[in-house]
Amino acid sequence: MQGFFLGLSTGAVCLAYCAPALVPYLLGEGKGIRSTSLLCASFLGGRLLGYLMFGIVAWGLNRMIVSQIALKDGFIGVVYLVLAVTMAWYGLINTHTSCAGRSIGGLSARLIGKRPQAIALSLGVLTGLNLCPPFLLALTNASEFNQLSQSMLFFFEFFLGTSLYFLPVPLVGTVNNRPAFRVVGKLAAVVMAVYYLYTGLIMVGGELFL
Amino acid sequence: MKLSGVNTCPGKERALSFPKILFACLPMLLLTALLLSQGKLPVEPIKQAAFILTYVFINGLFFLMVYTGKVHRYRSVLFITVAVAFIIAFGANLLEVRGSMILKEEDILAGGAPFCHLVIPAVIIPAVFTKTIIFPGTIINRFASIAGMLVLWFGASVALGRGWCSWVCFYGGLDEGFSRLCRKPVIKNINEKWRYLPWAVLLVIVLTSALTFSPVYCEWLCPFKTVTEFAAVTSFKVLVQTVLFVTLFISLVVVLPVLTGRRTQCGLFCPFAAFQSLTNKINIFTIGIDREKCVDCKQCINTCPTFSLDTDSVKQGKPLLSCTKCGQCVDRCPRQAIQFRLKGIPVSMTTQTAKMLFLYPAFIFATAVGGGLIYGALLRILKLIITGSMF
Repeated sequence: MQGFFLGLSTGAVCLAYCAPALVPYLLGEGKGIRSTSLLCASFLGGRLLGYLMFGIVAWGLNRMIVSQIALKDGFIGVVYLVLAVTMAWYGLINTHTSCAGRSIGGLSARLIGKRPQAIALSLGVLTGLNLCPPFLLALTNASEFNQLSQSMLFFFEFFLGTSLYFLPVPLVGTVNNRPAFRVVGKLAAVVMAVYYLYTGLIMVGGELFL
Repeated sequence: MKLSGVNTCPGKERALSFPKILFACLPMLLLTALLLSQGKLPVEPIKQAAFILTYVFINGLFFLMVYTGKVHRYRSVLFITVAVAFIIAFGANLLEVRGSMILKEEDILAGGAPFCHLVIPAVIIPAVFTKTIIFPGTIINRFASIAGMLVLWFGASVALGRGWCSWVCFYGGLDEGFSRLCRKPVIKNINEKWRYLPWAVLLVIVLTSALTFSPVYCEWLCPFKTVTEFAAVTSFKVLVQTVLFVTLFISLVVVLPVLTGRRTQCGLFCPFAAFQSLTNKINIFTIGIDREKCVDCKQCINTCPTFSLDTDSVKQGKPLLSCTKCGQCVDRCPRQAIQFRLKGIPVSMTTQTAKMLFLYPAFIFATAVGGGLIYGALLRILKLIITGSMF
C-alpha cells in the first residue's frame, strides 16, 4: 500500500499538472456529467498507461532516465512538444461549430467523430509521461524493487491514490450546456498548446544550445 | 439635489444649467486637491508647477465632461494621458531606484518586483489553498505593494465593476490611444467567438499559475513588459519570453488597434479583463438602451471599443458582461437612447443624476491612480527641461 499512500499524499500536485490539459479539453467537448466522466476515465486510463510504460522503460533501461539527469529536460521537452501538437490539433478541429479558427477537417475530424475517447487517452498518456515531482518521487521509491511486477504494482497503487483527486473533475460537465463554454475550452486548448510548445522548445533548445 | 429632469426628448439631451455645472464640479475640485496633495501642498516651485498643471488638467477634463455631456471624449484624453504618464513615471522611478529598467534576480529574491492588477487572477488559487502570494513583491510599505494594489482594486471593483478597465487601468490607455489613430477601420468583421479568448487565456493562466506556483501571465504573456520593466536576457528561456512580450505588444496594443479602431488587447486578450467582467455582476452601475428610442443603426455595436455590444444585447437593452462603461456608445448614439443607469431603474426613467452618480466614483478612482502618475511624469519632464536630468 506504500504506492497508494504516496499517491494520496501527492495527488493534488498531480491534479495541478494534469488540469491545464484536461479541463480545456472537457470544456471544449461540451458534454454532460455522464459523458464527461467517461472522457475523464479515458484520460485516467491513458495516464495509467503512461505510468506503466514509463515503469517498464525505466526498469528495462536500468533506470537510465532517472540517473541520466542530462537527458531529463530533453525527454520532457519532447513530451511537451507532442502534448502541444495534440492539444492544438484538438483545439483546431471541428472548428466550424465552436472555434473562430478555420476547420482542418478530413481524417482528424473523422477520427474524433468515431473515437471521441482517443484524444482523452492520448492526453492521459502524454501527461502520464511527464516527470512531475510526485511521479519522480514514485519512480525513486519504485527503483528499490528488483522485480518488474513489484514495480508495476507500486505504480498502479500510486495511480489509484492520485486518481482520487480527479473525482470532482467530471463536475465540469455541469457547466457544459452553454455553447460559450465549448468555445472557451477549445480556445484554451490552443492557448495551452502554445504554452506547452514554448515550454518544450525551451527544454529541448536548452539541451541543444546550452 | 435633482440635477436634471427625466431625459425624454429623443435626439436632444437636456443639459445642466451653468450654475448647476459649477456646483457639480465643486466637490471634484476639493477631492482632487486632497487626492493629489495627500494633505500636503508641495513647497518647491518645480513641484508646485507640476501640481498646478495636473490639477488644472484633471479638473478641466471633468468640467468639460459635465458641461458637454460627452463622457467618452474627455475620459479618453485622461485615460491615454495616464498610460503615457505611467510609462514615463514608472520608467524614471525604476531608473532612479535600480539604475536600469531591468528586473534582476536579486530584485526578485528581495521581493522588489512592483505588483500590478493584471496578476490578481493568477494569485487567487494559490493564495486560497496555500496562503502564499505567488509574486515576488512586498505586502506593504513599498512602491506598488501587493496590499495597496489589492485594496485599490477591491474598492474600485465594488464602485465601478469592469469600469476599472476604462477608468483606472494604467495600461488600457495605450491601445485606446492607438485605436484612436484609426479613422476608418481596415478590419471590420471580427468573428464574435474571439470575444471568448480572454476567458480562455484566463482559464489557462489560472491553471498554469496554480501548477507552476508562479505568475505565468507575467512570465509569458504580458505585452506591457515591453514598455515597463523586463528581465535581462541571460538564457534561451528569457530570450523566448522577451520575443513573446514584444510580439504581443506590437500586434495587440499597436497594430490591431490601428487596423480595427478597437481596444484589441483589452477586448480580445487580457485575462484580467475577463476576470474583472465578473465584478459587473455586483456593481450597481450599468449602461441601458432605451428600446423605444433605438433605431437599430448599429453605431454603438460598430464602435464599442471592447466588443461589449452585439445585435442580441442591443435588442435586450443592455450590454454584455464585458462592458467597461467607457461611455463611447452613450456619446455616439444619435438618438440618445443609451444612458448610464442604476440597476433596477428602467432606462426610460433614467436621469442625468445616474450619470453624475457614476462619474463621481469613476473620476475619483481615475484621479487616485492617474493623478499621481500624471504629476510624477510632469515633474520628471519639468526637471529634465530645467536641469537636464530627470532625477
